[in-house]
This record gives sequence, C-alpha cells and structure tokens, in this order.
Amino acid sequence: MNVFVTPAMLAQVVVSGILSGALYAMVALGLALIFGVMRIINVAHGPLLMLGAYTTYFLYSALGLNPYLTVPVSMLVLFAVGVLLERTLVFRVVDAPELSSLLLTFGISIALVNLAQLLFTSDLRSVEYLTGSWVVGPVALSKPRLVAFVFAGALTGLAFLFLRRTKLGKAIRATSQSREVAMVCGIDVQRIHLITFGLAAALAAAGGALIAVIVAIQPEMGQIWTFKSFLVIVLGGAGNYPGALLGGILLGLIEQVASLFLTTQLSEVVAYVLLVVVLLVRPTGLLGGRET
Amino acid sequence: MTTKALGAVIAAMAVLVGGLAAQAQGPIRIGASLSLTGTYAKLGKNQHEGYKLCEKDLNAKGGLLGRKVEFVVYDDQSTPATAVRLYEKLITEDMVDGVMGPYSSPVTEASANVTEKYKKVMVAPLAATTSIFKRPPDKKRYYVFMVISPAEVYLEGLIDMAAKRGLKTVAVVNEDTLFSKAAAAGAVDIVKKKGMQVVFQEAYPKGNTDFAALLTKVKSLNPDVIAAATYFDDAVALTRQMRELDVSPKAYGVTVGGDLPEFYDTLKANAEYVYGATQWEHVLPYPGNNEFFGAYKKEFGHEPSYHSAAGYAGCLIYAEAVKRAGTLDADRVREQLLKLEMRTVFGDYKVDQDGFQVAHRMVTFQWQEGKKVVVWPDEMAPAKPRFPTPPWNQR
Repeated sequence: MNVFVTPAMLAQVVVSGILSGALYAMVALGLALIFGVMRIINVAHGPLLMLGAYTTYFLYSALGLNPYLTVPVSMLVLFAVGVLLERTLVFRVVDAPELSSLLLTFGISIALVNLAQLLFTSDLRSVEYLTGSWVVGPVALSKPRLVAFVFAGALTGLAFLFLRRTKLGKAIRATSQSREVAMVCGIDVQRIHLITFGLAAALAAAGGALIAVIVAIQPEMGQIWTFKSFLVIVLGGAGNYPGALLGGILLGLIEQVASLFLTTQLSEVVAYVLLVVVLLVRPTGLLGGRET
Repeated sequence: MTTKALGAVIAAMAVLVGGLAAQAQGPIRIGASLSLTGTYAKLGKNQHEGYKLCEKDLNAKGGLLGRKVEFVVYDDQSTPATAVRLYEKLITEDMVDGVMGPYSSPVTEASANVTEKYKKVMVAPLAATTSIFKRPPDKKRYYVFMVISPAEVYLEGLIDMAAKRGLKTVAVVNEDTLFSKAAAAGAVDIVKKKGMQVVFQEAYPKGNTDFAALLTKVKSLNPDVIAAATYFDDAVALTRQMRELDVSPKAYGVTVGGDLPEFYDTLKANAEYVYGATQWEHVLPYPGNNEFFGAYKKEFGHEPSYHSAAGYAGCLIYAEAVKRAGTLDADRVREQLLKLEMRTVFGDYKVDQDGFQVAHRMVTFQWQEGKKVVVWPDEMAPAKPRFPTPPWNQR
C-alpha cells in the first residue's frame, strides 16, 4: 500500500536491521568456522541453536536463573554436544565427498529435531524476561534485541580475538588454510576439528539462548537459522570469518529495508536474489573465499 | 390370533433376528488417521481423545444400529502423504465400516481424495479451509463434511465490534500460508461490507519473527484496528514488537495462537486487551457442554481444547446421520448429513450442498486480567469488551 517513508522510519528499520544482523553474524560465524576448517556444510547448525535455546529455557524455568547468565552455560553444554557429535559421527565424513557430509548433517538435523519433539514435546515454551524498548529520539530500541546485539557483538569479538591471538586460534586458521601444511607443522588436526565443531555449536547455542528471550521455543525453531546462516556465509564469503560479520549485518539490513520499501514477503526474495547474484558475480563471496 | 397380532409377533421376531444378526456382525469399525506424533501431535491427540470419548458415550447408550462402535486409529506423523496411505489401508485392507477425518486442513485435503475415490463419507471435524469443500463442478467432492467455521470468519468478531463502535480504518496483516491468507481475505471482505476502510495490507513469510519494518509502516498510517491472521510465534512476536515500537491501535486481534494459554504465559500483561478468535470454549452455553468438559477432564486428566470438542462433536454428528439413515450406506448417510441440523457441545451443525459448514459460529474473546473472556457475538457473550485498547504508555 501507499506508505510514505520518512527518514525517521528509515532510521528505525536500519537500527532494527543492524540489531538482528549481529545475531545472524554470530550464529553464521559457527557455520563459517566448520566450513572453513572441515569443509563441511553443517545442516544441523540450526537444530544445535534450538538445543541451546532449550538449555536456557530449562535453566530459567527450573532454577530461576537469569536467562542472560545462562548464555555461557548453554554454550558449554552445546560445546560438549558438538564435541560428541564430531567424535562419534562427523569425523567420518571430513574427507568424504561433499554429498556424504550433507547427508550426514541432514540426518543429524532430523534426528535432533525429532529427539527434541520426543523429549520436550512440541509445546511452545518461552522465557519471559525482558520486554519493551528504550526510545532514543525517533528510534525505538527493543530491549531484548539490543541486549542480544551487545552479547552477539561481544561474543563475535571474542571469537575473532581467539582466532587471531591465541595459539589454538592460529592453529585453527592454519588448518583452515591448508590441512596438510598444518599437519606437517605438528598441529593435531583431529583435535582442531573437534574443537572447531564444539566452538561452532557453542556459537549456535549462544544464538539460541539470546533468541529464547525474543521468540517462542519449539523443536522446529532452528531450521530457519540454518538457511539464514548459509545465506550469510555465502554473501560474506564462505570460510572467510570477517565475511560472516559483513554478511550478517548485510542480511539484517536487507531484510528490514526491503520490508520497508517493498513488503515483508518480498524481503526474502531480495535476500535470495542477492545470493544468486553474488554466486554469479563473486562466487567466493563479497570478501572473497578462504582467508589468506 | 388376529392378523394384527400376528403381524406384531412377526415384526418382533424380525427385530429380534435382525438384532441377533447385528450382534453377529460385530462392532461398527470407524477408521481414522490422526497426527499423534510430529508437528501437530498435541492437537491431533486432543482430537483423538474427542473420538475416544465419543466412542465410549455411544457404546454406553447401546452403540449404533444396535452394534458396538470401535475406532481404528493410526498415526500419520502429521504428514499428508502418510495419511493418504493410511486411509487407503483402512478402507482396502482393514475394511472399516466408516471413516472420520484427520487433523488439519492440509492432511484432510490429501485424505479426501482417497475417501472420495472409495465413496466413503468423511466427516472432517478439524478442516477449516474453504477450498477443501468449495470446488469447481468437475472436481466436486460428494462425501466430505465440514464441522468447524471456515478461516474467512475468524476476524469477523473483531471487525464487527470495531464497526459498531465507530472505528474506520483497519490494517490487515497475515502469514503467507493457506489458512492465514484465507482469514485475511475474509477480513478484508468483512471490512468493506461494514463500510470501513483497509488502509494497509501485507503478508509476511512463514517463520518470520521480526516485524520492525512492517510495524513501522503500520504506525505511520495509525489505523484504528489491526487485524492479524497469525499462528502462535508470529502472534507473540507481533504483539511484543507493537509494544516496543509503540504501535497503539484502538483494537488489535489475532487468529490462531491467541487462544492458547501459552499466549498469555509468554506475553503476560502485554497480552491484555488483545482479541482472539476461537471455535469453542467450555463456558459457551451449548447443550451438554459442561458435562462434556467434566467427563473429558476426568477421562484424560486435562482440559479439552476446541480440537477435542470438534472431534467429539464430529463423531456424534456422523453417528446421528447413520442412525437417521438406518444404514452405513454412504449415499444414504450423505443424504442425512446434508439435511441434518444439529446442536452439539461444539455448537451448531448444518452444511450446504457442498458439505460446507454454514451454522457453526466463531466466538471472539479478549484477554482480560489473564482470562479469555468471550465478548462476541453479543447473545453468547457474558461480558463486554474493554474498549478502546489504551495506548501502551498508559497501561
């Protein structure tokens, strides 16, 4: 319909877009890490996020913990789940053709969702902790989304610091650049894979914990995040970690701004058309492929 | 012995023999595929419990056509394709005497093709999509019958109340799925009929939980009413973000999801004043509704939802038609179902020539102090709506 877009409205959606973009970036960073280091597209990334959300829910409802304090706990729990999955299943497909790893993680994804339906039922749960907004001039900042933005920003920053500065982080990046050379240099690649997968699951869990305060929790909440994360890392450059940050913010902005000028329905079209264009014009993503 | 008396004796013997024959035939087996696991598990189970209670009540009253009634139920895992296979199996392998509908519109839509093929009457108590029943003449379905109100009238109460209170402008938003689209289209029609104006209409994709841009647009138009054709997640997200962005219409209503207790548990005070639509509430003054509520709770240990009540009522409607037809013959039962006017715990039943429900009424409620209070239609409403909805900053 005919809506006259004012600068204040544009400011509002840009802010909203950046807020959700940071979450996309953090969750997608996990997917990017696994892809970069292990060359696996982890379709189960979204369901891992769902498990993180449930962890937060149970800690909040059973122990009365502040949901934001549960973020590190959820991350630890899912780190363990990630390590377990890698050690028992995923390591088998690291060097296998791409289809095998897709099939395996797709299977894990279905198994996790159905397991959650069995254990937690499909009842809708929610963590009602923080609502409302802070109003700054013409712009309303959603409280839970702003807190999620701060957490996501901080965790993404920490993850980058870890990758840049620590020995382990450097080993991860080295493995991602060339597994053979890394092995020759004495890096225990198996262990790196294990840690990478755990770390990625932990990042997804942090996303789940933060989203738990924003939307309802149910076993199928995760899948959409697999798609979004995938979109983010293709936009930013698969395997390129800062690319995930750019891609995430970009996706958040595209969704909101396209929704404002077109319709919410068409914003997805815009996002996926952009995906196709990027794949055609810059198949390695906006910031290029593997980090060099 | 007079001929009259002789006739009576013969008649009595015939009934006796007939009765014995019926006993020898064993129970009437009614097949159904239900969503006992998967996405719709919770709702499908409630419908199943409705069927079970109906089976129990029918048998307590001597069964149907002198025979016991027995349900044969399989789990379709909430997928239409599985349900299709199960109805095939029920009809061709298990040779059931009759069938009842599955849960949800998509599953009913798929299953109806099977039941039509084998000319089985199917009362489908949990299918609200008009297109299952209203079809082009060459694709007409003859044997499927609707029990609940169609999606198109879900927002009627909200708009009717707004119109009566002099509100003029309406924003209609909906999830872009079969049911919500139909509910939104119906709402737009009703708005026009009432002489009001649709100032904004937009669909959003399934799974969308960020409405910042959409609500920014709505806010700039400042409509009197927001009518949202939703499911649960989006209803919650929309309400939360309305508060965050300070979007304050004088009346705001949602469709599905708003009637779940979880809606209030999640939103707490933010759910106050929100209108919702429901097919059934246990407080409604339908015959036997109270007894049904009590018996159900006792039998299954939890309260019935409208899915339970619709399942229960649908089964009774089918049984009544069979009783009136005096046979299980599909064409004769169909004739009775087309003629039948019946009031059950679920409300009124009457269908048109397409099997499309025309008598059952939706009710509109409003969340008031944590309770769903029925506020529309007037003749069934114990309370008045709290109108207008105050702006967020004055709550």
